Amino acid sequence: MRWIWIDKFVEFESGKRAVAIKNVSLAEEYLHDHYPGYPFMPASLLIEAMAQTAGILVGQARGFQEKVILAKVSRAQFYDLARPGDQLILEARLETITPEAAIICGTIRCREKLIGQISLMFSHIDKNLAGQEFPQENFVFNNEQFINLLRSYEAEKP
Amino acid sequence: MAMTRDQINEKVKETLMDALGVDDDEVTDDATLMGDLGAESIDFLDIVFRLEKAFGIKIPREELFPAENLLNDSAYVDHGKLTGAGLERLKSQMPHVDFTEFEKDPDLNKMPDLFRVNSIVTYIENKVNAA
Amino acid sequence: MRFILLDKVTELVVAQRITTVKALSLAEEYLADHFATFPVLPGVLMIEALVQSAGILVHVTNDFRQSIIVLQEARNVKYKSFVKPGNILRMELTARSIDEQSSSFLAAGFVDDRPVVEGRFQLRHFNLADENEKWAQTDEKIRQEMRYRARLLGA
Repeated sequence: MRWIWIDKFVEFESGKRAVAIKNVSLAEEYLHDHYPGYPFMPASLLIEAMAQTAGILVGQARGFQEKVILAKVSRAQFYDLARPGDQLILEARLETITPEAAIICGTIRCREKLIGQISLMFSHIDKNLAGQEFPQENFVFNNEQFINLLRSYEAEKP
Repeated sequence: MAMTRDQINEKVKETLMDALGVDDDEVTDDATLMGDLGAESIDFLDIVFRLEKAFGIKIPREELFPAENLLNDSAYVDHGKLTGAGLERLKSQMPHVDFTEFEKDPDLNKMPDLFRVNSIVTYIENKVNAA
Repeated sequence: MRFILLDKVTELVVAQRITTVKALSLAEEYLADHFATFPVLPGVLMIEALVQSAGILVHVTNDFRQSIIVLQEARNVKYKSFVKPGNILRMELTARSIDEQSSSFLAAGFVDDRPVVEGRFQLRHFNLADENEKWAQTDEKIRQEMRYRARLLGA
């Protein structure tokens, strides 16, 4: 399994807002445990899909120089389930960004209904997390999978 | 737009409940943000952001919470206590906080006790009614 | 990979409290991407581990009457430090309320004494048959699976 929870960007306004799509497919293993006979995407993975949409927005806003990690889920509310064959539309808005942190508010829509609302805070960990050890290099963004999503968006946008 | 202290109090409490995920009865006037309500560094930005939205004002973070660079500067902090210069700086940045007790023993570990719900209410009151 | 984010129930007080552990191993596939040079348990899988732990307490307290338990709302989930391969994440959850269709928890995770995560969760519980009788058999299948998991975990 790959730890990538969005499939493509459909809108990307640097420093402001991003819209990504996540398709839910029976080819994904976790669905067979959650739950046998009635698969649906767990709320925790919906949060991750939003965190990745938002994290790339935050990272790109500062040229991917910062290690952007999820520091707080201020609030995540879920109203309906995401099921195989669904296409989720995740919209993340950058509310505020400082050298230390960023705040994002986002929505998840499915079959034209609002199924989730999530607000997140990211930390730029070189500026925080004193006393904890982590590598010098940008382990968050140096695996190309996130950058590739943006490259594909740039290549395909009208 | 002038607001009464009560109105400000209500809104500040709601904001803290949202930012810190605590209940109504936990947000007393005297409650310390860090001790009683469990606020940490990451929460400060959240609180500032929500207060700015709730009251339509701009809040420089170091006016509400001490800036990291003050706490890390040896001119302002010596052996875990604030120096005279450090105290002066803090007081000038945060005129809404009552430092009289703290001044007697300006130990960094005691700083969290300074930040109480009612000092935030006072800060907002000053800002909103000055505008 | 199996989507079971806890390994053992170490303490369970019906309707009140549950303590569980999750052992983190490099064998877990997602770690290769999160992150290649710094493998750590993703924050959302901490949420999943806490929610699954709470779910066990709800199932045992409600005698598995509802087949499906989902996270309805998470609040103020804060991440304080990392869980690395070789660490054991200990999770302590206190139920503020457990009713037939909903429950509310205070949750915290630790590696030894080090706080890793804390948060508040509201769960929703239901049977698929509530919406449509044709799902009753599926409910039963899921219920059996959840009983099996609870036994597997020593609940």
